[in-house]
Amino acid sequence: MKELIKLKDVTIGYDGKAILGPVGLSIERGEFAGILGPNGGGKSTLLKTILGLVPPVSGRVDVEPGIVFGYVPQNEHFDPLFPISVEEVVSMGRYARVPAGSGLSRSDRECISRSMERAGVGRLAKRTFRSLSGGEKQRTLIARAVAGEPDALVLDEPTAAVDVRGEAAIMELVESIREESGAAVIMVSHFLRTAAKYAGRVILVDADKGVFREGLKSELMTSGALADFFGLNFESALDSQTTGPGGDGA
Amino acid sequence: MITFGEFLGSYFLWRDPMIVGAAAGAICGLLGVYVVLRRIIFVSAALTQVSSFGVALSFYIEGLGLGALSAAVHPFALSIGITVAAAVFFALKKDYSRVSREGIIGFGFLIASAAVVILGDRITKGSHDIASILFGSAVVVDPADVYIIPGIAVAAGAVLLFYMKDFIFVSFDEESARLFKYPVGALNAGLMVMIAIVAAAATRALGALPVFAFLALPPLAALYFTERLKLAFILSAAMGVLSAVLGYFFSFILSLPTGASMAMCACLFFIAGLLWREVRKRV
Repeated sequence: MKELIKLKDVTIGYDGKAILGPVGLSIERGEFAGILGPNGGGKSTLLKTILGLVPPVSGRVDVEPGIVFGYVPQNEHFDPLFPISVEEVVSMGRYARVPAGSGLSRSDRECISRSMERAGVGRLAKRTFRSLSGGEKQRTLIARAVAGEPDALVLDEPTAAVDVRGEAAIMELVESIREESGAAVIMVSHFLRTAAKYAGRVILVDADKGVFREGLKSELMTSGALADFFGLNFESALDSQTTGPGGDGA
Repeated sequence: MITFGEFLGSYFLWRDPMIVGAAAGAICGLLGVYVVLRRIIFVSAALTQVSSFGVALSFYIEGLGLGALSAAVHPFALSIGITVAAAVFFALKKDYSRVSREGIIGFGFLIASAAVVILGDRITKGSHDIASILFGSAVVVDPADVYIIPGIAVAAGAVLLFYMKDFIFVSFDEESARLFKYPVGALNAGLMVMIAIVAAAATRALGALPVFAFLALPPLAALYFTERLKLAFILSAAMGVLSAVLGYFFSFILSLPTGASMAMCACLFFIAGLLWREVRKRV
């Protein structure tokens, strides 16, 4: 496996104000990494630091040259004022490989169509994005991320606004994309069950307590390690496959 | 009241202002879709006032009798320069130390409006001339504007068309645009500079009221009429043109103030759009 992203002594934060660190982390191609932690614990800041959207307060974020990220932001990131179709939203994912001032080629359009079909939103192509259900929006955003043929698929709480069935379908889709494309998956989630099922590497983040732990699922997704991190009893949570303390079922 | 035949027979009177109004209505309608979608309607209001301030300042400097300096200050150039500077500030500055963006825009609008009134009081030219130059009468236009405004409209329209994908992308999802290494700052600044140049040029020719109306109301109406973004651009430009043309026509035959008549036509399109949306929701 090849190292795709490496954080060296990185302190994360906003506007030069540190919230957590220094931390170290490396993510390899094909790996599934789950970032877990309480609300306001710095998960999204860590994600955006990895993406290069938020500069680290100190330290270095090294990414493989020419890396293409496929990014699935949170649902509420988008203004419902825009009358923009599903097809137009998915097309934007392809812009990762189409510079400003250039148009989409026929092969780009074919890739966009394939991505929509792959994510199961081909029939919704002409619908407006704002009129979709939570699950349909997430599928559209995943199709958008896939349209760029990414090296790393980065998802910020992709199952936050969907029901249990929708969550399972979305996670199966993400996992199958990872297996087919060999892309790394980095996912922020409230859901311990999701991380326990899919992630090979787990990253526990709590900026309030200054805690950052990363390791293999077998090391960190144990009731003891989680109880130590969250300060709660997790035996039942992991056994019954319910949500973690930051999620709906806490 | 003037008959339609008399109106047609007087084409030499309305031809130039109609051309200028239609060109301004079209380009303001196009740009206005971005103004509405980016929720910066009051930035365009502030820019029209800043533009007026630039014109007033140039006349004030001219009146000071500073020789070569006074002669070198061209009202149109100073107006565009100051408006572009304000637009770039609004485009690039997002953090105002705990003061909301709306608060800063309101401050910009009010300080420019107050400065225009104060400078207008100190300018030595005839008050009617100053009011006409500052706010535009839209009844008659400078002959040069027949070329300048359509020229600016065509140039801005070409840039909007060429970079349409990029402007939509940056407006809809700036974060992903930055992730994909798009020149977000340049695109944002470019869009605001275009709005500033169009607002400055059109405000001087037509007045602040119709220009602000063209930037806000046809786009809002278009976004009510259609669920397709590209069609919204076309509808908005068309309603901008119609607002200017019909506004001028009604002002001519009913002897109404021209700028206000144009703004009122734009308001009617907005009301029609609102009604259309309500009807569609119920069907």
